[in-house]
Amino acid sequence: MRAEALQKKVEETVLDSYEAMYRLAYTYVGNEEDALDIVQESVYKAIKHAASVKQERYIKTWLWRIVMNTALDFIRKNQKEIAVEAFYENGKEDSYQDFDTLEALKVLTEKEKAVVVLRFFEDQKLSEIAGVLNENTNTVKTILYRSLRKMKLKLTEGELSYEG
Amino acid sequence: MKDKRLEEMRQDYKNIRIPKELKGRVDAGIRKAKEETQMKKKSKVLVYTGRVLGGVAAAMLVITVMANSGAAIAHAMAKIPVIGAIAEVVTFRQYESSERNMEADIKIPEVSVKNEDGTVNEETTQKINKSIQEYTDEIIARYEKDVEAAGGEGHMDVELDYTVITDNDRLFSIRFDQLLVMASGVQTVKIYHIDKQTGEMINLAGLFKEGADYITAVSENIKVQMKEQMAADEYIMYYLDSEVPEWDFQSVKEDTTFYVNENGKLTIVFDEYEVAPGYMGSVEFEIPTEAIEDLVQEGFLK
Repeated sequence: MRAEALQKKVEETVLDSYEAMYRLAYTYVGNEEDALDIVQESVYKAIKHAASVKQERYIKTWLWRIVMNTALDFIRKNQKEIAVEAFYENGKEDSYQDFDTLEALKVLTEKEKAVVVLRFFEDQKLSEIAGVLNENTNTVKTILYRSLRKMKLKLTEGELSYEG
Repeated sequence: MKDKRLEEMRQDYKNIRIPKELKGRVDAGIRKAKEETQMKKKSKVLVYTGRVLGGVAAAMLVITVMANSGAAIAHAMAKIPVIGAIAEVVTFRQYESSERNMEADIKIPEVSVKNEDGTVNEETTQKINKSIQEYTDEIIARYEKDVEAAGGEGHMDVELDYTVITDNDRLFSIRFDQLLVMASGVQTVKIYHIDKQTGEMINLAGLFKEGADYITAVSENIKVQMKEQMAADEYIMYYLDSEVPEWDFQSVKEDTTFYVNENGKLTIVFDEYEVAPGYMGSVEFEIPTEAIEDLVQEGFLK
């Protein structure tokens, strides 16, 4: 496929999913300003390097991956500002009164967080998440179990792999 | 039953407030990336020109210098060797202009058509060159008008290049690719053909026998191909049986752009936006010769 057509498709996917990209970024940094920076940077990278997506059906997976990596780079660069303890305290309290439940994600590693968010909140299939993380499906499943255990959540086997 | 806490988390996640400026930031990211990739694309085109026209590069360099001294048309006396004795590109002129962020680079070839005995076929030679000139003049006029209207503040980039894409016993075809970059790029293609048997310029109709209903045959074949492609790949979309019937592709016309590809197959070309949304770019359909073999004249297709 021509690079231009691919770029247009990536652009369309971005325009369809930028809110989800924002939420994922927000889950990592916990405040609007940084999440916005991460989304803008991710969109830029995606469009600029659109030609490197090998197949159209991987565009979405690839976008998740860019957001995740951009967020992680961002966190590494700004370690001081995002001390784990202060994680969700940067935001304006009034907008996030109900955020207590998401605090549970704090116990997870970066990878575990991505797996939980993509599987349970964004309804991505295990195989797609495997693509995002560059892991095989079984590893993703293991990470998922481990994450739930860490957060002290209980699920049955069926719920792990349901295709919501 | 899903864990209740997980369901609550999911709700909270879905309720993460989307800031108003998000869309603006997304657009900014897209814009920046596009500006950079367009700049890259342009330099690629230049490299390409240099490589393909290898032997002509020196001549072009001279022209470039001449043209820079005043955004006007420079005559190049360079003879460009092109295969085939009957129709050939004998020279080209180049229009170049650069006004801050507005640039034009338009190459205008001059074609000579000769009869079999070697004498110049004045009529067709004049006709094709006049037609090419009208086409390029229009592009240049529009560019100059836009420069004036923008008062030096505009962003625009027009490139027009040509290639002799077919030169066999029966057909000579010269293709123009115009790239117009303003807010976003638009590609258009124009192709001129000379029937070497008659020495005349022809359009799509000229490939077929008198009175043959090639329009239906070609159009129906294209519709089948559009449907097949759309069924096979959800990202492919054509204007066919769409929600806006007046945009739908109906049929080709006698002057629809075409060329004969390297396999000797008739290939129909549509400009960007003509039969598909912009992201599909300019699209082409190769028509199987079996679908039109009773209608087409001898010697054009394989």
